[in-house]
Amino acid sequence: MSENAAFEPKIIAFVCNWCTYLGADLAGTSRLEYPANVRIVRLPCMGRIDFNLLIKAFEMKADAVLVSGCHPGDCHYTSGNYHARRRWMLFRPLLDLLGFDMRRIHFSWISGAEGHKFQQVITEITEETRKLGPYKLYEGKPVAYPKFPETVLPLGDFGAEAGMRTAARKLLSEGTVQVVIGYGERGPVFVTKAEDADKLVWNKNCLTNLTAYLKRKEIRALGKAAIVVKGCDERALVVLEQESQIVRSELHVIGMACEGLGIPKCAGCAVRQPRFADEVIGTAKPAEPIDHYAALDVLMAMTPEERMGFWAEQFDRCQRCYACRQVCPMCYCEQCLVDKNHPQEIAASATLTGNFAWQITRAFHQAGRCVGCGECSRVCPAGIDLWALNLTLERAAEEGFEFKAGMEPAATSLIGSYSVKDEEAFIQ
Amino acid sequence: MSEIIAQNLLRQCVGEWLAAGKRVAGPKQVSWNRVLYAPLKTPAELLLDLQARPVNSIKEFFFPKHEQLYGYKIEGNDIRLTDSEEALPEQIILGGHPCDAAALPILDHVFNWDYKDSQYNARRAATTIVTVACATHDDACFCTSMGLGPTAERGSDALLLPFGDGSYEVRCLTEKGKALFAGKTTPSDKTAPEYAGPEKKIDPAKVGAFARDHFEDPFWKEQSLACLGCGVCAYNCPTCHCFDIVDEGNAAGGERARNWDSCQFPLFTLHAGGYNPRSTQPNRQRQRVYHKFSIYPEKFGEALCTGCGACTRNCPAGLGILGIATEISHG
Repeated sequence: MSENAAFEPKIIAFVCNWCTYLGADLAGTSRLEYPANVRIVRLPCMGRIDFNLLIKAFEMKADAVLVSGCHPGDCHYTSGNYHARRRWMLFRPLLDLLGFDMRRIHFSWISGAEGHKFQQVITEITEETRKLGPYKLYEGKPVAYPKFPETVLPLGDFGAEAGMRTAARKLLSEGTVQVVIGYGERGPVFVTKAEDADKLVWNKNCLTNLTAYLKRKEIRALGKAAIVVKGCDERALVVLEQESQIVRSELHVIGMACEGLGIPKCAGCAVRQPRFADEVIGTAKPAEPIDHYAALDVLMAMTPEERMGFWAEQFDRCQRCYACRQVCPMCYCEQCLVDKNHPQEIAASATLTGNFAWQITRAFHQAGRCVGCGECSRVCPAGIDLWALNLTLERAAEEGFEFKAGMEPAATSLIGSYSVKDEEAFIQ
Repeated sequence: MSEIIAQNLLRQCVGEWLAAGKRVAGPKQVSWNRVLYAPLKTPAELLLDLQARPVNSIKEFFFPKHEQLYGYKIEGNDIRLTDSEEALPEQIILGGHPCDAAALPILDHVFNWDYKDSQYNARRAATTIVTVACATHDDACFCTSMGLGPTAERGSDALLLPFGDGSYEVRCLTEKGKALFAGKTTPSDKTAPEYAGPEKKIDPAKVGAFARDHFEDPFWKEQSLACLGCGVCAYNCPTCHCFDIVDEGNAAGGERARNWDSCQFPLFTLHAGGYNPRSTQPNRQRQRVYHKFSIYPEKFGEALCTGCGACTRNCPAGLGILGIATEISHG
């Protein structure tokens, strides 16, 4: 008890330069008293307040954080606060899934004229955090591995193999393309001669999302390509085109109708039949839809401490081999943030802190972009349930914005746009 | 005559070791599709399934993925160095494969050839390694090509040979092994069966000579087009040992640490000025083969590979040493 009585929370407020900082200034010049527990970090705009700053604040023993900026419509840069709002709408569910204490993460709109509101918000946060006690980050209750709902794992028929080979042979012999990116007996193959078309296979091992190769310069150097995609992989092509990473007309897409490869993601698949391919081999019967989010409900039924315990155990195993990043078609940055070391943004060490920072960054950079191909989870040597992070963001996008990445070529980027109608119940 | 131990007694031993405060590690089911060598919290976690092949290797109990070398604290104008806080408890590794244990004497060369690595050596001294002979093998295994086999004893302190009925013949190979199982086994006139190893698949000398003599060769590009450039092969290899030294911390202090690194990353060879001598993935794949089968044997007299097949089994793109080495050996 005596320890709690002596406890003074450390609160980090990330505020925008034009509104909340002026509000804080006004509180000072108006001689309004507020607790000295807050440390203010001033940034140009609320839209500049990166999610990594929050994580960093908690790593450095903050007990609560506040993100605050201009009221809607008041942004000095017109829309920075709208962008920020949408970003936090997607990011908060991810933090919640990871077991962060959401009572310690606050958002507010405070204008330059609201010295009183600044005083009131800081006072409330300080009092609430004082009651909560010191934050023990990444310390959770260890839990047994949860029982996720079992799904029926369908395995389709693979009769389309001959059709795929014929298509590849034709493309290569007629010179339409210089290389066919497809599946071989041992893994991905790059067929450059028509007579090698029989090296292509179509079976239950064709798991790799081959669109990940489109970013690799060794593959681009091979010339105009045809690529074999399943309906799930094809969603990645849609996003890559939206993000100007590929020129769709310069790529020949061989779509494979697929009734499932026998892994969990195949259950209830909504895209068995490719929709935008230049040619589709075979036809697939539609799958019975299932509730993919039921697996997340298992995690969300735990307490935040238990969830954090679950993830701490998982991330403790992360080797930082970056297989999750390398197999991901959406991770196409020439230099990943984690490889940046002048100055270092994210710890490169495979410690619990470093691994949380890395995994949060990787996941959140997929917000509204991940197409759910599940490759990161499949290849993770440590068996980390990365799908749950991606699925949480997918759910936030679908439930909050009726948006699903890679489904609609005409869609605008979720994270790159905003609406004045976005909900804001979590912002004071 | 042999000494045998039943599985339930082995588990009982694990309980006793844990109760005595020792760190016990062994194969453990960590998620629905992965088995890893990991520290055990209870004896029940030890997976003694003869088919199970953990993804990782036991090297991380000697050469961890992250290791603090020393810490520093900044107080005012003073910077104070602090000793590493890493604990070096007595460890017992139970249930490794012979190919995992055989990697350690190979690694001993590089951790002792000029600088004697005190933390690595302290962990080696404090660890007892109990391996289980391989009653089964899979397509990726090629230990016999590397001079090992299902009952190879190199690097192990004790070898358990499964009878298949849940009991094991115990062969204590060192004083540490003898001490560990003293009074735990019972004499028997049964002896362990013969286990069939994988057929010989590659010729290590030929692979080394090819890598040395074909430094520039289209072969490397053909073989590594599918490589995505992750670190799965190196990080789960029992013999890959490259590391990076980093300083991480904040205004209050931090640490100098040693982290695993992999030759498959572009950052591994990137110079400060921006030049990268291994600028493409084929160069990096070549390096891995060249180091294992030519550079290391020339320097230390033996190949940096035990034929465990981990790189081949776990590669997200279906590559790995075995495929490349097979092409060279039979090409």
